[in-house]
Amino acid sequence: MTQEENGSSTSTTSSSPLQSFSQMPLSPPPASTAPPPTSPLPSAYLQNLRSDERGLYLIHFLLNCANHVSAGRLDHVSTLLQHISLLSSPDGDAMQRLSAAFSVALARRSLRPFPGLYQTLVGSGCSASAPAVAAARHDFVNLCPFLRLAFAASNQAIVEAMEGEKLVHVIDLGASDPTQWIELLQLLAARPEGPPHLRLTAVSESKEVTNQISVCLTKEAERLDVPFQFNAILTDLNSLDVEKLKVKTGEALAVSSVLSLHLLLGNSNCQIEDFLNALWNLAPKIMVVTEQESNHNSPVLTERFVEALNYYAAVFDCLELTAPRNSVERARVERVLLGEEIKNMIACEGAERKERHERVESWGKRMEAAGFGRVPMGYYGLLHVRRMLQGLNCDGYRVREEKGCFFVCWQDRALFSVSAWRCRRFD
Amino acid sequence: MPMEVENSSAMTASDSGSAEVSGSSSGPLLSVPLPTGPPAKKKRNLPGMPDPDAEVIALSPKTLLATNRFVCKICNKGFQRDQNLQLHRRGHNLPWKLRQRTGKEPRKRVYVCPEATCVHHDPSRALGDLTGIKKHFFRKHGEKKWKCEKCSKRYAVQSDWKAHTKTCGTREYRCDCGTLFSRRDSFITHRAYCDALAEESAKVVVAPLSQPPKEERILVPVMSPPPPPPACGGVELAMPLQQVVPTEEEEAENPPNVLQHPPVAAPAPPPPPPAPPTPINRTRNTTTTGKSTSTLSASSGTTTSTTPSLFASLFTSVTPTGSTPQPTSYTDLIRHVPEPPALCLSISPTTSVFPQPPPTDRRSFTSSIPTQHMSATALLQKAAQMGATSSGSSFLKGFGLDISSPSACEQHQDQGIRESGFQQWGQQLEPDSVLLLSAGLGLGLHYDNSAMNLPDLMMGPSSFFVAKPATVDFLGLGMGPTVGSPIGGGFPGLIQSGSAD
Repeated sequence: MTQEENGSSTSTTSSSPLQSFSQMPLSPPPASTAPPPTSPLPSAYLQNLRSDERGLYLIHFLLNCANHVSAGRLDHVSTLLQHISLLSSPDGDAMQRLSAAFSVALARRSLRPFPGLYQTLVGSGCSASAPAVAAARHDFVNLCPFLRLAFAASNQAIVEAMEGEKLVHVIDLGASDPTQWIELLQLLAARPEGPPHLRLTAVSESKEVTNQISVCLTKEAERLDVPFQFNAILTDLNSLDVEKLKVKTGEALAVSSVLSLHLLLGNSNCQIEDFLNALWNLAPKIMVVTEQESNHNSPVLTERFVEALNYYAAVFDCLELTAPRNSVERARVERVLLGEEIKNMIACEGAERKERHERVESWGKRMEAAGFGRVPMGYYGLLHVRRMLQGLNCDGYRVREEKGCFFVCWQDRALFSVSAWRCRRFD
Repeated sequence: MPMEVENSSAMTASDSGSAEVSGSSSGPLLSVPLPTGPPAKKKRNLPGMPDPDAEVIALSPKTLLATNRFVCKICNKGFQRDQNLQLHRRGHNLPWKLRQRTGKEPRKRVYVCPEATCVHHDPSRALGDLTGIKKHFFRKHGEKKWKCEKCSKRYAVQSDWKAHTKTCGTREYRCDCGTLFSRRDSFITHRAYCDALAEESAKVVVAPLSQPPKEERILVPVMSPPPPPPACGGVELAMPLQQVVPTEEEEAENPPNVLQHPPVAAPAPPPPPPAPPTPINRTRNTTTTGKSTSTLSASSGTTTSTTPSLFASLFTSVTPTGSTPQPTSYTDLIRHVPEPPALCLSISPTTSVFPQPPPTDRRSFTSSIPTQHMSATALLQKAAQMGATSSGSSFLKGFGLDISSPSACEQHQDQGIRESGFQQWGQQLEPDSVLLLSAGLGLGLHYDNSAMNLPDLMMGPSSFFVAKPATVDFLGLGMGPTVGSPIGGGFPGLIQSGSAD
């Protein structure tokens, strides 16, 4: 119901006491030379706050801090970060953990004007190794069903597109988890006309990850008696040479990208276009794209910050309700997976800033510009996913279909979008 | 044609030449062989097609009901089974000649039901098994003497009753909507459709208003399969609410749609029951999916109204100049504001559709204390709503903030000129940050750019804002383009005062 407030003036509701604040004697700050506040708020006061009051304080501190960071006022940033650190904690409730993650990102960001400091402390790129991130991603897949639902929807679309094909080649861009392909093997094995010959090409940066995927999938394929072949390409997406994918004539090609395509938006607009054009030239029968449904690619830091805050608030809420506070997997997901994403999108810029999530409408435009046509995700796909959702017996997770795309949501906030595309030739 | 007479009282093992035809139901019985067809083969017949060569036996009901059909000629003792009779006869030490069961070839026998109205009375529909015909007679034409204890089913045949009691109630599946199933497959099918059907049926209601035609095409197939289960009340309540949400994506179209939706939501019982007494359930969304939506949204709406008390209490404790909630000012404010129904949706969830006087509800809410634990999303929404209130342009004017003067700080590569405006804000960054917050939440408040006169920050993400034609004058102050409001001015002020000592 809160989403109703699009057209409403929520301001009328709580203006009264805040009006009274305007009459409170406040020391008017001069325009840009305000003396930096030095001492933090009385900590005794802060300890006694209730969780929701604390949360509200955290939000205000974070927002103010983001503004200061983008304006470069380090002293204010420092004070605010002190306040935040008093209230936040990586082991507290959702809002506290969220604040911990974002405050780290803000702190890093504030060092950017000092390249030496930045280089030394922040370094370049991710502070976690690729296998650690893959493990965290695996934990995330297990803890929260978002990605599993997305996998199910993607697989359903792939299977539908590959109806009647005898030779199927699937390219997994940014592979990290075998879960999706295990399910695909099962779906293909259960086809009435029998399983096709399946080739899977996984593109990943880490050999360990691809080895693990290979082992899992070969075992499963043997068990299901599905002819299966695995190839690994060890490169990051930016430098992927499409020729290496070795797409043979006569095979039906499916491309799957789970939370990976946005990594290509970093360098320049052209790169994603070139990449999509190259994929188009391969003439895939279907291309399924799963992306985070949020715009974290605005050039303006504060906008990005607010969008990210809202987005990750939903994810952290979900984790809060799904896993206990002392759960190791949850901590890994929050710190290694989500924390790194947050740090990257807030603290980095330019080519370093890889986590450039965008909403599915933007992706749609790009895909269409590259010559792909939208494939509606299908009614049976939705039913299948909904059934799976009920089977999972989780509360708060939703799947929504809109304009042919699926949105996997937490409560009413769409978190991931799944869309399918086909190569549109001579239309 | 050889005929055989079987007497219920005495049975002759040897074939008796006498042929007696009796048509009475109580006396001895009648057997008429079927017209001869192809030579009989020893094989099991298909059900319903008795062996044409078989001998048709019509036993009387008394015979069927009798338990001791096999009687020893010597001592007249009755047995249920032929084998038992033979065993017994051995004990009589019969001489060799009499020991044989003479001549009687075991001819294939089929049995007809003595009940004239029954289908199986016709020899062509005879049943091949004696036990079978007995069971049939009991089941169809007998009194049901055996009753299951757990459920109300009654059985005439004891073996049927035994088989049932073994499985009664052991495997049961219950869907969320309350329907009970004994079979796993039907349960699973139903469960898949149940939620989809409930949602789609609600969607179909809303669809004509806002959804694109494609939605309806997808929705239509849903309606045809299994009949919709009885949707529980909570689902019905929340579905209209929930379906409104997807329209959030098409943000530009929202305002007209939002206005249309309240009438649709009207049929649902307006006050979401959990809202007033249990905002505590906010984060623990344990009820059905639909209910949890309404709970969350309703409670967020509740928190909106409780913010006055929250902040009042907060700042009373911190600053000497306490502030008390002034419900009366609401009335003043609200009178100035034009109230489309959409407004009421957010103001008071209890009056979701009808513009009832909010102040009454407001006062009741101000007294309630917000719950201890809110989800991060709910906190963000609350913060956005709190901050969205502009509490007086005069406040900011007093600070003489001047947007136009450039900043002296370093410019960051991506931010360029845009950030310059922030310098002037100093501590008053609350307003735009919170506006961003609400924008990020997709709340799209009324603020016109002109009213806010915020830096270019606001220009960029135009999609964040709902296109509202007019600037809503919340305070009735007729403020023109002014510097944006210091919404949570208290907060930074608090920091200031707290830190500056």
